[in-house]
Amino acid sequence: MISNGMVVVKQLPDGRAKRERREFLAEVKQLARESYRPQLIVDLPSRKLTSEVLDLLLSCAEQMEKSEGRVSVAGASPEAAVILELTQLTSVVNVFPSISEAVGIDASRFGSEDLNDGRHLAA
Amino acid sequence: MELGALVVTQGSDGTQQIDNSTLPVLGKTVLDRWVERVQGLGINLLSVVDSDLLGSDRLHTMIDWAKKGVDQILLILVGSYSDVDLLDVVRFHHEGQHRITRVFDPLGPLGISLLDRQIILNSNFETHKLGPAGPSTRYDFLGYSVRLSSPSAYRKLVEDALEGRCDVKPNGLEAERNVWIHPAAHVDPSVRLEGSCYVGAYTRLNPGVVLRGGSSVEHNCDIDIGTTLDHASVLPNTYLAPGLCVRNSIIDGTRLENLDRGISVDLGPLGLSGRKKPISIPSSTPSVIRNRSLGETSFCVQVPIVPDAVERASTQVEANGQ
Repeated sequence: MISNGMVVVKQLPDGRAKRERREFLAEVKQLARESYRPQLIVDLPSRKLTSEVLDLLLSCAEQMEKSEGRVSVAGASPEAAVILELTQLTSVVNVFPSISEAVGIDASRFGSEDLNDGRHLAA
Repeated sequence: MELGALVVTQGSDGTQQIDNSTLPVLGKTVLDRWVERVQGLGINLLSVVDSDLLGSDRLHTMIDWAKKGVDQILLILVGSYSDVDLLDVVRFHHEGQHRITRVFDPLGPLGISLLDRQIILNSNFETHKLGPAGPSTRYDFLGYSVRLSSPSAYRKLVEDALEGRCDVKPNGLEAERNVWIHPAAHVDPSVRLEGSCYVGAYTRLNPGVVLRGGSSVEHNCDIDIGTTLDHASVLPNTYLAPGLCVRNSIIDGTRLENLDRGISVDLGPLGLSGRKKPISIPSSTPSVIRNRSLGETSFCVQVPIVPDAVERASTQVEANGQ
């Protein structure tokens, strides 16, 4: 069954843990397979951006695009926001000051429910 | 009448990260530009010192000069850039028979003073204060000036210079209107230079690079493929990775100052920028060495800089803290 407009909030894994990154990306791939126009909101508070994290965000954006979805980053520090702009990731990733603001935009269009380790807001 | 000039740089007092007067602005530092203008007055006694140097040492230098017959001393504290005509300041001072002339703009003093010999000889060495001379005379300057107190002020000076709003002339050739490229720069044919911009000596702009919005790239930089600079300045000896979009920022090696947010970001761990090995080719002998002709210890030492292919008069000096 394909969910329409599902919104998922997830914590980004530590950039240094390769296995966690692989598992995270597998979950994102599954989300992309099982939903149409999903919204992945990545919680980034106090997370220092590393090149691995940037790679992961880019991979997530690629997966989401396959099902016409979108990745949003929430709670990025000013430094992280500068780096996202500098690397032009903002052209494929939306940046919001907080999860509530990122969710708020989508929640006005979609319903919500809780699932797994992330919070799912489904249509 | 003999004139001497003491140019005092901002130095590093621990609170200010960068001495803006020693940052190049379109190929030459503000300090270089002040030194050239002082030399343009025909002043052959010139010393450049750091503000870290004790006030008593600076005063001692001026007293020595005064004792050796220097009639007037031009004191420039390099915390700002202005288009003020120094010759007119000297003329104003002389014609009015003033003892101390201080240059002001509408915001306040610009750190430029002209002092008479007698004032210096009457100085109080203990308190580092100049001797009593009554009130100083004010020379009001209403032309272009900017205080170099922040990264934003630096960017303002760069953009104003590129737009011709001040007398700062870019050290390069004007390829087209307000687009200045140093002859020793390498610019790939696919590079887009939109609007006013500057490319410094020995800098390489790789294919697909875009410069716009009064952006400047100083000497010995390498901007990799497809990177865009928009209202941005890249300071000397900096490498920028491919595919970046730098807006409203100043990048110096691995450090990025974002002017919109007022924050500094270290790009080094991400490999997005880096520090290149500086080019060190000795320049022509700077005129400040003339200090030694009076047989005194000079504060100044020569440091190598990129040779100036356009105007070979470029010099750079720094304090050695003596």
